[in-house]
Amino acid sequence: MKTSRGAAILAIITAALLILPLVVHDTFVLRVLTEGIMWIGLAIAFDVIAGYTGYLNFGHGAFFGIGAYTIGILMMQAHLPFWVALPLGGVAAALTALIAGIPTLRLKGAYFAIATWALSRAIQQLALNVEFTGGPDGMRLEAFLNPLFFYYLMLITVGAIFLVLWYLLERAPFGLKLKAIREDEEGAKALGLNPTMLKMQSFILSAIPTGILGGIYAYWITFIDPSSTLGDLVSDQAVVMVVFGGMGTLFGPALGAILIFAFKTIFWAYLSDFQLLYLIILGALIAISVIFIPNGLWGTLVKRKAVARPQEKPEPASEPAALSAVAVPEEGN
Amino acid sequence: MTEPILKVNSVTKCFGGLTAVDDVSFSVEKGEIVGLIGPNGAGKTTLFNVISGYYAPTKGSVVFQGNDISGKPPYHLAGVGIGRTFQVVKPFAGLTVLENVTIASFLKHPKKADAERHAWQVLETTGLADRAHLSAAGLTLAGRKRLEISKALALDPSFLLLDEVVAGLNPTEADRTVELIMKLKAQGLTILIVEHIMRVIMNISDRLVVLNFGKKIAEGTPAEVSSDPHVVQAYFGEEAA
Amino acid sequence: MMELLPQALTDGILLGGIYITIAIAFSLTYGVMHVIDFAVGEWIMFGAFTGYYLNKWTGLDPFIFLPVIFVIYFGVGYLVQPVIHRVLSGTKGNPFLMGLVFTFGLAIMFRGLALTAFGFYSNSIPSAFSEGSFNLDSIGLTVTIPTVRLMGLAYAVAITLILHYLLKKTNFGLGVRALAQHKDAAGLMGVNAKRTGSYVYGIYVGISAMTGVLLGCILSIGAQMGNEYTIFAFFVVVLAGMGYLAGVPWAALLLGLVQSIFMIYFNPSHTLLAVFVILYIILLISPRGLFGKGV
Ligand SMILES: Nc1ncnc2c1ncn2[C@@H]1O[C@H](COP(=O)(O)OP(=O)(O)O)[C@@H](O)[C@H]1O
Ligand SMILES: [Mg+2]
Repeated sequence: MKTSRGAAILAIITAALLILPLVVHDTFVLRVLTEGIMWIGLAIAFDVIAGYTGYLNFGHGAFFGIGAYTIGILMMQAHLPFWVALPLGGVAAALTALIAGIPTLRLKGAYFAIATWALSRAIQQLALNVEFTGGPDGMRLEAFLNPLFFYYLMLITVGAIFLVLWYLLERAPFGLKLKAIREDEEGAKALGLNPTMLKMQSFILSAIPTGILGGIYAYWITFIDPSSTLGDLVSDQAVVMVVFGGMGTLFGPALGAILIFAFKTIFWAYLSDFQLLYLIILGALIAISVIFIPNGLWGTLVKRKAVARPQEKPEPASEPAALSAVAVPEEGN
Repeated sequence: MTEPILKVNSVTKCFGGLTAVDDVSFSVEKGEIVGLIGPNGAGKTTLFNVISGYYAPTKGSVVFQGNDISGKPPYHLAGVGIGRTFQVVKPFAGLTVLENVTIASFLKHPKKADAERHAWQVLETTGLADRAHLSAAGLTLAGRKRLEISKALALDPSFLLLDEVVAGLNPTEADRTVELIMKLKAQGLTILIVEHIMRVIMNISDRLVVLNFGKKIAEGTPAEVSSDPHVVQAYFGEEAA
Repeated sequence: MMELLPQALTDGILLGGIYITIAIAFSLTYGVMHVIDFAVGEWIMFGAFTGYYLNKWTGLDPFIFLPVIFVIYFGVGYLVQPVIHRVLSGTKGNPFLMGLVFTFGLAIMFRGLALTAFGFYSNSIPSAFSEGSFNLDSIGLTVTIPTVRLMGLAYAVAITLILHYLLKKTNFGLGVRALAQHKDAAGLMGVNAKRTGSYVYGIYVGISAMTGVLLGCILSIGAQMGNEYTIFAFFVVVLAGMGYLAGVPWAALLLGLVQSIFMIYFNPSHTLLAVFVILYIILLISPRGLFGKGV
């Protein structure tokens, strides 16, 4: 019953988003919405590896930037059409995840956090230092100025990402297996789970949508450079959104993405002289979330009951008769 | 006589300079309950870890159903029919009891609905069905030990390794776990069990293997072993003292 | 180009010597608290700026007030650590992840604060030792050693010896080592994990800040310098093997050499790439460090 209500709410939101451009013609609003939707996608993709699997990728932005650059390079230098280049952005991100994951996913989480963060810094350096990316000057893409097209493309892509992730993580066995890895990797092995393999699948699953979103972003904004697409802001924001919203769920990061992105938009609109203050607020928000709401907003407000229910006495025995032969309910102790 | 289900051939396991398991050999026949006993630190858990794939033996080999499994990873061994529990219980604390057992059920039931149904059956056998929707972190010690058994059983194993699943329980709880073990034996499961509580191990085991300082010092029926002078000195002597 | 090699090696060893101090303290903190501090570079940066402004206001040589900087930042670290400890001993969520996230958030916040306060330009800290240099021409080597680098090395040796003494010869050190090896057993032995953790974190922050001042005298300072040093710190502890202190000096020297060789022979802006490639290869073939002794 609860899920059906959730589904109904989602359907209403989706319908509203679908017809919105018919009502609102302001390009600024459309642009903000497009980017907001993109951030929902980036946050839930980040949460696949962080929240569900328990491995922090502090260089999530690298996948975004790699997707963006792949599309930029393929379209401008190989003259491939957008629709051919776009999936290849996802492929490039997946390959990066594979290469980064092989040495690190066998190891403890601290190594993974370090290595992903260092990788993202290294990739930014690489983009700054090689020719074919345009170096620090960045790269201009062929302009296709159709805000409505990008709004719908973003909406449909993120909608699809959400559905696929929801199915894999909440409906299919895969999500539970990832959670088992998160909770106890050694114990999971005894149950037939191969942690390294699952972590790798999770990491790739997190990378592909991120790369694709980077690709759409590049074509939409028509200009990419190492600081906008490969800088640390993308990773930092993803971390804030997910930690503040609530890890290990799809709705938490989505909520976090909406709130943080709304805040950012207002902040940058009115306080554009204080962009550095935004960085301070992001950092502080992470630290404060960790201390006061370690389960995030979603986990604290919505799922509070389910998280750590203290167990004193067994629930009233409403057990089927079949088990009473062996199993006598334990008395509370 | 048929091929034993498990053969431990001169297994040695060293940690740096320490030899935790020293040249131990024995075998387990199909359908038996074999008790593995010995004082604390004798190497019982380490031997379990070797058999279940957590450690590769330093020397020797482990043969399961005719195949050499030494050094194979635990997730592979779960697939061929070896289920195990952990002395230091390992519940997935953030998940419910049902989810814990469902995860193990995926091994034989790849569809989620099937796995859940199977997990319910297991929970009913082990008496945790009434707590299925509780967080595993909220279980009592007895509940957690039972959850360990449930997860191992959900693999539908042919061979079960139980590491101190009775120790720490009160007498009522202990009796229920013993009953459960006897029921599993009746269903045809082969069991290797480590247990400290003599009353339990003497009653349920068909045969005993005794370890001391990593070495096997005796093997035989409970009656033979309890009259073995080495054992009395090394083990019962200590308890009696 | 070969005639530059002695100079490159000398520079590398002198620089690597300084990195040893940060890396030992960083590695120690990891050993005791079991959390990686993503803010390590920012502590270095804060120390460097504190040195810069103290020098500007007082006109005194930065080497003179190194102890002052240590005391200030020891205090800061001592006060911050209980918060990290609280996060790590939380029961909700995953404390280990939360600890990492927390220091990551701190690093972002500190970077923002520094950029706000100090802007984007870079500078260096003047010291009386910055001018002079030694020449090794007399023994047939074309090597110049700036006095300030030599002072840096002296500082590094002194800090390393003091840490060595603290760890090996004092009760405090015994507690630290117990904590690093067996968290639970240490508690039974009467080691106060919280207090010891605070001291260790304070010492680590204090040393990082002091070393920041030296790096500011030798190289340069800027609000964004933290990132680079965080990567360097990671590089050293991973290469050494996480938590394996004895490997740290060698890894730090290697880092200094890589950096100086890139400065002299290649493009200095490729240093970070080179560091990453080495890090990657080590993780791939010997994830427990050069000596295989990490945890
Ligand atoms: N991972 C390990 N590293 C080092 N020593 C170990 C390890 N595991 C067990 N040991 C040592 O091996 C010996 C046997 O331990 P264990 O197998 O747990 O004994 P038992 O289960 O019979 O009480 C003990 O001395 C123990 O300290
Ligand atoms: Mg044991």
